[in-house]
Amino acid sequence: MDNEMDSLLETYLFETNSLMNHLDEILLDAEKSKRLTVDDVNEIFRIMHTIKGASAMMEFNSLMTSAHRLEDLFFLIRDRGVEVFDEKCDEQLHHEIFDLLFEIIDFMRSEIEKVENGEALTENIDKYQEKINSYVNKIKVAFGEEAPQQENTAAAPSAPSAEQAFSFPDASPYFLKIKFDEGIGMENLRAFMVINTLQEEGLDFKFYPEDVESNPDTCEAIIHDGLILSFAEKNTAEKASSIVQNMGNISSFEMMIQEAPPVENKSEIHASDSASAPVPEKKPASQGSEVSRSAAPAPHNPPQKQSLISVNLTKLDNLMAIVGEIVITEAMVTASPDIQGIKLDNFTKSARQLRKLTDELQDIAMGIRMLPIAGVFSKMNRIVRDMSQKLGKDVDLTIIGEETEVDKAILDGIGDPIMHIVRNSMDHGIEETVEERIAAGKSAKGHITLAAEHTGSEVVISVEDDGQGVNTEKVLQKAARNGLLTKPESEYSKQEILNLLMMPGFSTNSEVTEYSGRGVGMDVVKKNVEKVGGIVTITSEEGRGMKTTLKIPLTMAIVDGMEISVGESIFTIPIMNIRQSFKVSADEIIQDANRGEIVKRMDEFYPVFRLHELYQIPTEVTNIEDGILMWVETADKSYCLFVDELLGEQQVVVKPLPSYLNSFDVKSAGIAGCTILGNGNISIILDVLNLYQMAQAY
Amino acid sequence: MSTEVSVSAINQELDTLNMSNELSQKYLLFISDGLDFGVKASYIIEIITNHHITPLPLLPSYIKGIINLRGQIIPIIDIRSKMGKMEGEHTNYSCIIVLDINSVMVGIYVDTVSLVADIDESKISPPSPHNKQELVNGMVSMADGKTLFLIDCEKLVEN
Repeated sequence: MDNEMDSLLETYLFETNSLMNHLDEILLDAEKSKRLTVDDVNEIFRIMHTIKGASAMMEFNSLMTSAHRLEDLFFLIRDRGVEVFDEKCDEQLHHEIFDLLFEIIDFMRSEIEKVENGEALTENIDKYQEKINSYVNKIKVAFGEEAPQQENTAAAPSAPSAEQAFSFPDASPYFLKIKFDEGIGMENLRAFMVINTLQEEGLDFKFYPEDVESNPDTCEAIIHDGLILSFAEKNTAEKASSIVQNMGNISSFEMMIQEAPPVENKSEIHASDSASAPVPEKKPASQGSEVSRSAAPAPHNPPQKQSLISVNLTKLDNLMAIVGEIVITEAMVTASPDIQGIKLDNFTKSARQLRKLTDELQDIAMGIRMLPIAGVFSKMNRIVRDMSQKLGKDVDLTIIGEETEVDKAILDGIGDPIMHIVRNSMDHGIEETVEERIAAGKSAKGHITLAAEHTGSEVVISVEDDGQGVNTEKVLQKAARNGLLTKPESEYSKQEILNLLMMPGFSTNSEVTEYSGRGVGMDVVKKNVEKVGGIVTITSEEGRGMKTTLKIPLTMAIVDGMEISVGESIFTIPIMNIRQSFKVSADEIIQDANRGEIVKRMDEFYPVFRLHELYQIPTEVTNIEDGILMWVETADKSYCLFVDELLGEQQVVVKPLPSYLNSFDVKSAGIAGCTILGNGNISIILDVLNLYQMAQAY
Repeated sequence: MSTEVSVSAINQELDTLNMSNELSQKYLLFISDGLDFGVKASYIIEIITNHHITPLPLLPSYIKGIINLRGQIIPIIDIRSKMGKMEGEHTNYSCIIVLDINSVMVGIYVDTVSLVADIDESKISPPSPHNKQELVNGMVSMADGKTLFLIDCEKLVEN
């Protein structure tokens, strides 16, 4: 039961969140073109209707009521005609509707967030209701209608009056109205199955819409008005209702009697399965608005049918884990020592086929986790819009490559960093006033470009603005003030100065504004991006703007690694971190007074860390000439690791270490995870950056 | 409607199950450093022997390392060093008991396992006040006169 509620809630949150995002997109587009199209209005209406229904079922009253009010508003607009709205309402009213909508949407989002966190929802939402009502009144005045009188019916259609509007399709005394679970799909066929079952029971009745079996378009009507059965006899109707009661996927059904003064819900029984959450009183009202809607037929877009399903992420993780296992096992079987040296033609042939299939399987499984980055990018539209208004800067956001696909885990990790960079650009990058921009020879309108593209094994995301850029002098002074400099100011190269921006404790703006400078800065961006295995670089030309680039591996689940051994242990170093591997003679190693061993490569000195010393692994290879040096680098750290032996390159499936070990801080010991090798042994994956930090502390 | 009935039926079943459980519980007995220990059988996934353990660097000595159990990575705790004793020699009898403790999987490395016994829970006495072994949460006198120490599994995975 609890589980059922949980999955119900999960579905609710998923659907509502995607609807809200969709809504945001519509509104932003519409605001740009400064008018709502008929399609927009219909779509918003549909979204609000769905959210209202779902929220009612989950008993989230504040969400339901807000959605309901907006639905009313859009019903009004649609009813009077979008053209009329365009015509009669002045600029001011047009502008206001967007502000109003964004405000309500923000409120609804915050409520959804509360649901997600299990907090209590806001009970008093009069403030928002008031706002909508006063707007409704305003446009009514604009339409030349009497506002106050109309308000009652439009803003809050009461149950009885709405029910009276229900039009009975024929003169039978008894009706049964059946509604299916929201969003279940193929409503017409389900309706047909209900009809079929009842006919098999030998019941005599009529049904509406009449062409459910052959006409898939009746889905819409069934979703809105339900499937209507009409009966001549009371007992047949009752018999039918008892049968329907036991059928699945029916959210509600009610019996209605014609000619009984105000139609009452004789029986409103909720089907036993998922709908066991009681549907609150509001139901009749919503039905009422549906009915009156169907009475005034409006061109309705068929909902875009997408062949999408939503799957729990842990299921995908499990799938990925199994696929990883299969890939490894396949290697174990085909490379089994038992069959080495034996000529097995058929086996080799099948083994080759198996390899091909497992490779394909791996690609597909990985593909499932890939999502377009558009979801993250489109949120930036909203941020730029809000900040433009608040800060009084006119800024255009250009989005390139939003269809680029990234692993879901990475997508979750980069949302915040990107948002932070965009905010930074808006707040600090773009010049305060238009005059400044014009004086600098730029267009009055600021530009921010958000781009994503694939380059082989990486996805490159960049945020570029044409603002004032970074003043390296100021950065250096500030860094000096904050005590972040480690060498004389004159020795800093431009790139190094820009990197200072990403040091913890550095924030160029001393004031805390609403949008940025909350004590967190680019260092958090850097940390978050590194968490998903990526790197951040900043380039800037003073007076011309700034560009922040994130380079992130496509997936964290599979890594190209180099296997190395130290004593009995086997380690994996990600190939992307390896610059070179080489042997040295003892006299190439220089003993540095405070840094230990260093080695000179390409005119630069790099520290040498002996892995067996760092990890205290007993090994016979302690002479620097017997082992091998791995020159590794990440972000701005570059150093050499001394290991026993190179074993070879291998693609490995990254497995996290057991959660039990997390409390021992294995991550900061430079261990990123582990992987299972072809022979079943475990190899430890090294995190080159953390290893460096650990070696420094060592 | 129907869900309500089934839930109460399950609850009833659970109640009766609990009652029988109150009387006796199955425990797996193992020996570590000459002492008898017991671990509740309901936690046990399986017992494995001769499994290669991959050591992990820079961890407390009682964590022997990790193993690959059919693709699952499981940390191994050496029960001897966890209890502050010398690490034992690896013998043919040494084995790993794999436990699932509130869905945290760990293996404990023990000298040898002996048998599975039914233990009357009412006979379990609290650990003696002199006992400094925080992993032990109960003692039972066995029929053969030996004393059995019961391992507190939840404590084992607590950090």
